[in-house]
Amino acid sequence: MKRYLSCFILFVLLFMASGCAEKNSNTAIGEVPSAVERSGDELDMLLDDDFLDDELSAEQDYYDPLEPMNRVFFEFNDKLYYWVLNPLNKVYSAVLPQDVRFSVGNFINNFAAPVRLINTLLQLKLNDAGAVLARFVINSTLGVYGFGDVAWRELGIKPREGDFGQTLGYWGVGEGVYLCLPVIGPSNIRDTVGFVTDSYSHPMVFFVDDFLVSAGYYSLERVNVLSLNPDAYEDLKKYSLDPYVSMRQVYLDYRRKKFDHNN
Amino acid sequence: MKTNIKHFLFLVFLFSVFGVDGAVGTPASPTDILRPTLQGMIDAIRDPALAGAEKKEERRRKIMEIASRGFDFTEMSRRVLGRTWQKISQEEREQFTQLFIKLLENTYVGKLEGYSGQEIIYKDERIKGKKAAVLTLVKHDGAAPFPVSYVMLNNGKGWQVYDLNIEGVSFLRNYRDQFKSILRKNKFAGLVKVLEEKNASFITGTGAAQ
Repeated sequence: MKRYLSCFILFVLLFMASGCAEKNSNTAIGEVPSAVERSGDELDMLLDDDFLDDELSAEQDYYDPLEPMNRVFFEFNDKLYYWVLNPLNKVYSAVLPQDVRFSVGNFINNFAAPVRLINTLLQLKLNDAGAVLARFVINSTLGVYGFGDVAWRELGIKPREGDFGQTLGYWGVGEGVYLCLPVIGPSNIRDTVGFVTDSYSHPMVFFVDDFLVSAGYYSLERVNVLSLNPDAYEDLKKYSLDPYVSMRQVYLDYRRKKFDHNN
Repeated sequence: MKTNIKHFLFLVFLFSVFGVDGAVGTPASPTDILRPTLQGMIDAIRDPALAGAEKKEERRRKIMEIASRGFDFTEMSRRVLGRTWQKISQEEREQFTQLFIKLLENTYVGKLEGYSGQEIIYKDERIKGKKAAVLTLVKHDGAAPFPVSYVMLNNGKGWQVYDLNIEGVSFLRNYRDQFKSILRKNKFAGLVKVLEEKNASFITGTGAAQ
């Protein structure tokens, strides 16, 4: 019964998202604000990156002793993508227009704000924590339950990040062995612990205590992200000589850059 | 080391010929250098005379010829191979460079072609010593624009691109890890084979299907 109620609430929220998106449709939704806004910092990161200046340096910058097992799960996830995720996305994208999916993405992000608040606080980043809190309050009210990002668009408060994997890193825990987890995908020991821990500080836990609903919500999040970047995985496969290595490199590099940048 | 001395001598020569003012006066910024190269490539992609699948070879030749003015392909190849570059012969280096240029064409130019008819917006530029980074956005109707950053190096012969950063992923770094993994198992000959196969997949359509 509770599950049906949750599904119903989800449906109502989606419905509201479409209404909300229509009102905002002229505010250039496809503009990836975060990517553009952070451009300056990203360029600095590119310039500070001198790994290739000396071809003899940094021969091995990952630790992947579980590669044979990881490759099995990589293949499993590959099948999962083509057999489940991608077909789901096709239907999802056909039913909901892109601006609605953007709003759904906003909602999902906003709903996870407590996770970011806790982790920015644990990393003693009070400015970021303040921004997370302000964004949550503004977007949950003026942004209609978080479907619109009013805080960024109207007030210029940029999104901040914080997860428990980063928090562990902040306090000196190493990233550990690289992992390719079934369903979840690329990770490492530190981020896996972070992922599990964060799931306990996610507000979802306080609303529903039902694995299937949580799994459903996680799936919605995954499909929504995929629907906004539909070519990402297939491009990776198309362009790489070894997709497993390519994905490992992308993941570790992405996480490290983000970490270095935030500290 | 030897090349450094050469560059230094070249600079000394420039200074003595043009004077300090002439050499430092109004240096072309990385964006100034990049813009005509990218615009030339985009124009070739848009050129109706070169459009269509049957003109692909001709179009790609034109695009890559323009690209070679702004991209330092040898520097890219050297950096992406890392230690192995020192171990292989001059012929092997040239063979690898050609294969790598072809891969760049199939991936990066192929991706740009998918966004044909769109414009490139220059968002930002940073310079740090001999290196520079230029952020561009490739605008595309109905989809999020995709960010491409160009990392450039000024080795005395002007700014030239040596790495691309597409949606946060370094082209060189990503391929270097893949090459390393292949080299460890199958040596240089194995890498050449895999590269040839990958490039061929874009011709037969298994890779080029879009």
